[in-house]
Amino acid sequence: MGERKVLDIPLNRAEGDLEIRVEVEGGVVTDAWSAGTMYRGFENLLVGRGALDGLVVTPRICGICTTTHLTAAVLALDDAACVRVPDDAVRLRNVALATEHVQSDVRQAVLMYMADFAGAAHAGHSLHDEAVRRYAPLKGGVATDTIRETKRVLEIVAIIGGQWPHSSFMVPGGVTHRPEATEILRCRHILHRYREWYERRVLGCSIGRWREIRTAGDLDAWVEENGAQRNGEIGFFMRFCREACLDSIGRGCGRFLSFGGLDLPAATRTKGRRGKLVAAGLAHGGKVHAFDQAKIAEHIASSWFEGYEGGRHPFEGLTRPYASGDEAGRYSWAKAPRYDGHPAETGPLAELLVARDPLFTDLVTERGPSAMVRQLARMARPAILFDAMDQWLDELMRSEGDGFHTSPGAIRDGRGMGLTQAARGALGHWVTIAGGRIQRYQIITPTAWNASPRDSAGVRGPWEEALIGTPVRDPANPVEIGHVIRSFDPCLVCCVHSVKGGRSLGRAVLQV
Amino acid sequence: MSITVYWLSAGGCGGDTMSFLGADSPDVVELFAALDVDVLWHPSLSTLTAAEHETLLGRIRSGRQRLDVLIVEGAVIRGPSGTGLYDGRHGKPKKDLVAALAGQAGTVVAAGTCASFGGFGVGKEIEATGLQFQGRDKGGFLGEGFRSGSGLPVINLAGCPCHPQVMAGALSALAAGVPLRLDEFNRPLNWFGVLVHQGCSRNEYHEYRVEEEEFGQKGCLFFHMGCHGPLVPGPCNKLLWNNRSSKPRAGVPCFGCTDPGFPQKSPFFLTPNIEGVPLALPSGVSRAHYLVYKGMAAAAAPDRLKKRETGV
Repeated sequence: MGERKVLDIPLNRAEGDLEIRVEVEGGVVTDAWSAGTMYRGFENLLVGRGALDGLVVTPRICGICTTTHLTAAVLALDDAACVRVPDDAVRLRNVALATEHVQSDVRQAVLMYMADFAGAAHAGHSLHDEAVRRYAPLKGGVATDTIRETKRVLEIVAIIGGQWPHSSFMVPGGVTHRPEATEILRCRHILHRYREWYERRVLGCSIGRWREIRTAGDLDAWVEENGAQRNGEIGFFMRFCREACLDSIGRGCGRFLSFGGLDLPAATRTKGRRGKLVAAGLAHGGKVHAFDQAKIAEHIASSWFEGYEGGRHPFEGLTRPYASGDEAGRYSWAKAPRYDGHPAETGPLAELLVARDPLFTDLVTERGPSAMVRQLARMARPAILFDAMDQWLDELMRSEGDGFHTSPGAIRDGRGMGLTQAARGALGHWVTIAGGRIQRYQIITPTAWNASPRDSAGVRGPWEEALIGTPVRDPANPVEIGHVIRSFDPCLVCCVHSVKGGRSLGRAVLQV
Repeated sequence: MSITVYWLSAGGCGGDTMSFLGADSPDVVELFAALDVDVLWHPSLSTLTAAEHETLLGRIRSGRQRLDVLIVEGAVIRGPSGTGLYDGRHGKPKKDLVAALAGQAGTVVAAGTCASFGGFGVGKEIEATGLQFQGRDKGGFLGEGFRSGSGLPVINLAGCPCHPQVMAGALSALAAGVPLRLDEFNRPLNWFGVLVHQGCSRNEYHEYRVEEEEFGQKGCLFFHMGCHGPLVPGPCNKLLWNNRSSKPRAGVPCFGCTDPGFPQKSPFFLTPNIEGVPLALPSGVSRAHYLVYKGMAAAAAPDRLKKRETGV
């Protein structure tokens, strides 16, 4: 038996801070505890506010998933108001949301994930010098290009909704504004430019060629097929990961959840599944199961909250922060969401598995999930979105228009839910309206799923589980932990009822 | 000599960073290169290891590492009960780090409304405050008398989020030694000397009181839809967002996010009014005169506006 050590690891480049505690024995992680470290109380400050106020307040939960929070908030109000949203409004909402995704996926990959490849921990890697040339913060060629290209594509959101981040252009029954055809045409120009850059720089081939890859073997052959593919960001990423063994760490809990997202307009040429471009479901054990939101429950047994035992559906959820500092077994301010009683990871890999994407299904079946595959799914996801975005813009341009807003009148008392997919995975808002005011507002963010602490049954959350077995070469710089956690694209500011390590993790439990 | 910058994220959403990454001409990379900025730390960009970061903080605290500009994003969280433990770092409140770094900084810049005035968490369970204001009240976390090494109060680059050109412009001015004149809430007049209303493409609707009463009607959003454009300063319609537009141009009311009182207590998307005239009138306007003026303006409104024939 090797020496047993406990490491507390603060992690940045995670959109918010988090602290991970791991127990390392014989150079391998044997247990892990994940804690977000900031409580911002957004759910509670919504209570008592106007029925529509979630449209203004919730985008500000997160500067990076801002359009996705707006989407979830408006879907919850559409639901509460039972209002039909005109096709053109659906298209405008979708294009803005998908723009946020395609920007976020590349930013996260280059600025937040591969930036580590340029770090000293990988100095001995045969591709390190090239990684520095590409990814050194604010200096690397690809890092610089990524900043420039991603900000340009966001102009589409501004044309549709006024600004990015933090607009509120989606309102119950539609959107506040319909850009005229020439403005839609500008959106297409911006999208085409970004797509061209993405194909050239990130894929190293056309999207058509990329989508011909259907198996793990195809992918290996594709990387070596030519210089452009070998040196594109995906080819480079895979070659770097293999030498650094990122294809063998970060397996996770093996359950993959998608709420589904991007509702299809009633009349569109875009194909999807059950009315959505991004399919909903739970992938587990090689099968995909139908999604039922009634199976969602949040536990607080390991969290500094009080008020109930076991799990609660978010319509019945409570957010009562409570900590005296001495609670045995409580070590996180994140709640523990569970689906059908089990933890589930969410994100682009989950979306692709639920959609039965041939390549990612084969990769996970043949080689198992890993930090590399999870991150690869994120880098490849834009390839699925561009065609639909372009199609919807085309339809908008040609639309005779049945309007872009149906007035629902005042929002009636009742409740509504808004479920969608953020860049980081499943996002849900559950709202109850009484007397024209918000009576209850519960939010479960993608990172709440992924970063969840142990539940009432003591079962670890997805990150915690994914860390088990991870080798740690240098306890002073456990870069492997970062690689595993960042493959989930953590967004801690979003974890609205998570508190940042104001308190050290429950020592009574963790002492070794 | 390079300018050293430490970007501290406190109780915020990261939106000011995301907004700043949208800066254009110069973009972030060009700006930092032109000003010879040495980014000691940025939470979303830095690759320092945890140990290296702690060493850096130790050197700043002890004065061995010069800190020219401290940029704080997000509110200072003081809850629960003043402990600050709702926002912690290695078991200690983050607010202690804010105080320590502010004490060493040549200039302190508040990025966004949360850092400037506290934002959403003021008066709530997290007990949020801005650096030198809590809402409209002077004081905040650092106290009314706080002055950074250069003798300046905290420079409040308000907005939710802060406009990228405001951040880029303020850093450029600091680097060039161009003095920034501040308003009563320590917002630079260069960007907060204009109202959000100025430059709004819907100004003609406002002029003739052609109103929007339902989303998407194309009209002025001030009278019914809760727009704060004529009430608060900000460059949104002067500089535009993402080089393209602004919320009011896209039919979304301005929510007054540069104001120390943001967010308002009353519901958004609704203008509190008496007989169709907003309770809050553009600053400095006499109510009686405004009533007469708007009554006459509405009567004079041309058909092309009333019929929304304009392309706006």
